[in-house]
Amino acid sequence: MKFADMKDSFKEFWAEFSKEKTGVIGLILFALFVFIVVFEPVLLPFEDANDRWRDITYWADNPKSAPPVWTNWFSSKKKATTESYYDYTTAEEDLGGMKVVEYTFDYDYQFDEAPNDIILHMDVTGAPMIVVKVVRPDGEEVEVYYGSFNAGNNTKDFRLSVDNNSRDILYNFAVPFENRESLKDVKAGLIKTTDTLFAKAEEGILRSPVSLKGDYKIVIQSIFMGENDNVESPYLIMPGKVSGVLGTDSSKRDVWTGVLAGVKWALLIGILTAIVSVSVGVVYGVISAYLGGWKDAVMQRVFEIFVSVPLLPVLIVMSAIFEPSIWTMIGMMVLFFWTGSVKTVRSMALQIKEETYIEASKALGASNFRIIFKHMVPLLIPYSFSSMALFIPRAVVYEATISLLGLGDAQIVTWGQILSDALSGGAVMSGLWWWVVPPGLSIAFMGMAFAFIGFSLDKILHPKLRTR
Amino acid sequence: MYWKYALKRLLNAVFIYVILIFIFSALFNVQMEQTVYAQIDERIKQETMQLKDMKPDEIREWAIQRKAHYYTVYSLDKPVLERVFIRAGNALIFKYGNSSLIKSSSGSRDVRIIVTETIPRTLLLFMTATILDILLGFWLGIKKAQKPGKALDKTTSVITMVVYGMPSWWLGMLMIMVFSYIFKVFPSGGLTSTPPPPDGSWAFFIDSLYHLILPVITLLVIGFWGRAFLTRNIVLSTLQEDYIMSARARGVPERKVLYGHALRSAAPPIVTMGLLALIVSFSGNILFEGIFSWPGMGNLYWVAVQQNDIPVLMGNLSLTTGLYIAGLAILDLIYGFLDPRIKVGGKA
Repeated sequence: MKFADMKDSFKEFWAEFSKEKTGVIGLILFALFVFIVVFEPVLLPFEDANDRWRDITYWADNPKSAPPVWTNWFSSKKKATTESYYDYTTAEEDLGGMKVVEYTFDYDYQFDEAPNDIILHMDVTGAPMIVVKVVRPDGEEVEVYYGSFNAGNNTKDFRLSVDNNSRDILYNFAVPFENRESLKDVKAGLIKTTDTLFAKAEEGILRSPVSLKGDYKIVIQSIFMGENDNVESPYLIMPGKVSGVLGTDSSKRDVWTGVLAGVKWALLIGILTAIVSVSVGVVYGVISAYLGGWKDAVMQRVFEIFVSVPLLPVLIVMSAIFEPSIWTMIGMMVLFFWTGSVKTVRSMALQIKEETYIEASKALGASNFRIIFKHMVPLLIPYSFSSMALFIPRAVVYEATISLLGLGDAQIVTWGQILSDALSGGAVMSGLWWWVVPPGLSIAFMGMAFAFIGFSLDKILHPKLRTR
Repeated sequence: MYWKYALKRLLNAVFIYVILIFIFSALFNVQMEQTVYAQIDERIKQETMQLKDMKPDEIREWAIQRKAHYYTVYSLDKPVLERVFIRAGNALIFKYGNSSLIKSSSGSRDVRIIVTETIPRTLLLFMTATILDILLGFWLGIKKAQKPGKALDKTTSVITMVVYGMPSWWLGMLMIMVFSYIFKVFPSGGLTSTPPPPDGSWAFFIDSLYHLILPVITLLVIGFWGRAFLTRNIVLSTLQEDYIMSARARGVPERKVLYGHALRSAAPPIVTMGLLALIVSFSGNILFEGIFSWPGMGNLYWVAVQQNDIPVLMGNLSLTTGLYIAGLAILDLIYGFLDPRIKVGGKA
């Protein structure tokens, strides 16, 4: 086919396709998915998520099972959001043999519910003393940490989680304010550290804390005694009660990151499986129809055997036996999906075979190969496209289904695996909808995009179903 | 000749079944044998515990003998290919052996009992859903075909495409979350409450119905748009045939054209689709049953995969395949009987 011909036929096709509103919506959705894949490095809130999705330490600074940030819009009680602070003021003091470096972070707290934790990170060399203080807007000062950290001669990451570390300190801080009656009901080991830290110093600070809004200062003092002692690049993370675009799961992973990272795999699985299996099916159907006779009969028997396989059970067994990887999974799906288009293609090819130009090229001595691939298969390309579009959602759903059973590729992040974690993590029972809805909705959206495209193509191909 | 066609079709079905069973046994062979080895080791261990008055050397020798004995019993001493054949042969006569872990509700470890007791439960759920699905889908499809391109047709067609790629188990998860845990309206799963009301009583019936509602609604919400869309397409393309035009030209009332003329030729493919859906539902929807803890075939399969219980897996898979192939064959036989053109073998 010449380029000009192709351009013309494409123009013609586009003129038809653009009349189908749903088809255009499907294309837009598809473009959106492609956009996400292309700009993934920019869009991902956590850059290394692809490699470290299952690495607990990577997610340690996130809150656990926190709803999305935008749930605050619908609630009168504003919950603290997750924030990171890299800006601080430095003060240094030399006391003869000792040196004190003081970093001060400002935290403007304007929420009704306190953050889940305060997490401090620093690069520490040597063995300095570290003191962490919180200066509250009402002037009270709480020393939440006091201790030495020994990194030897190396540089190590110092991580302090105030919630775990300072529960007793906060309890002792709050006791003078709380009345005796309430104290009996409160267990020291069970208080929420940050709730107390960010609460008004009055009766009820332990029992029903009311948040004290205003400017908090978090002061980190490092006291150096040795020559090598040094502290560098401190930063604070305040894991909120709400976090991220789509919240976090029970292993503290950011759901939005997972959903974004899953797009490329869904597209890859869907498109690759669809292209390969439809191509195989079309060629198989055409060859079977063209050759006819006993060859056709044998090919039809083989086809029947594949059709009679209950697909999902066999796919599950095979993924349990073989090393689960994305490529074997695609391979297995192709192994059974190619049958989908054979029947239709064969009946279409039987008609094409009787056309006079096929007879003519046979008379001219064209080889079977040339007739099949040059004269018959091209006529089936429009049909192939529409059936590919409708195969993509199936492949995506099958991958998700196998992953849900825990038989997926553990090296990558797919929507099915997020759902699998959600199911085993009890998201359904505890109502963590932000963990269950987004990945499933993404699967549904991807299915919808290709269903829109596929059904529109189908409509163009079968004029009988037209309503205009 | 109808009987000739029927015989051919049945033989074909049996042929396919045999081949698939062979493929499955080859697929399962390695895994299957591991469970058998484990079972033999366990049994010999038990037997040695009961031995008395024997020296350690003698016991060891005796154990080796027993092992060899059991290997011959389970034909583990034969070459691989032969073992695959033996295994396939056993599966073909429904001899699936004993499960390695799973027990039936009566406590039996016979795979045949374990699998067959789940079939009626699966049928109960999916038959109910499919029948409602067909009725509703048929009704909506005809409504859509009557006024193609109008508001009802357009909106429902869009919904069809929206749910096209939606996994039913995901919707099930959502439904359970919303209706069982957030608003506690329906049970989160299971066949009946625990403990179940007395068998055969009205309470039992109502309890089962109550447990059926959520999964059936979920299946309907996912399924019936598609059925309606297919019905619409089939009816619509029939409505454009020449004989419909001539009927209209003769002044046959539109109602009669639709129900008397169009539906008569559109019905077989629509019914086929429905029956096909029913046949597919034999195997149960593995994840769907798992999510709703519905103790059917699909759920059994899931449990067997998770516990790596190969005999149950093999039994379940071959029974499922058998039912599926038998269903397809019966469908073909019915159509061969109804439509003489099919008998010739697609040359029409």
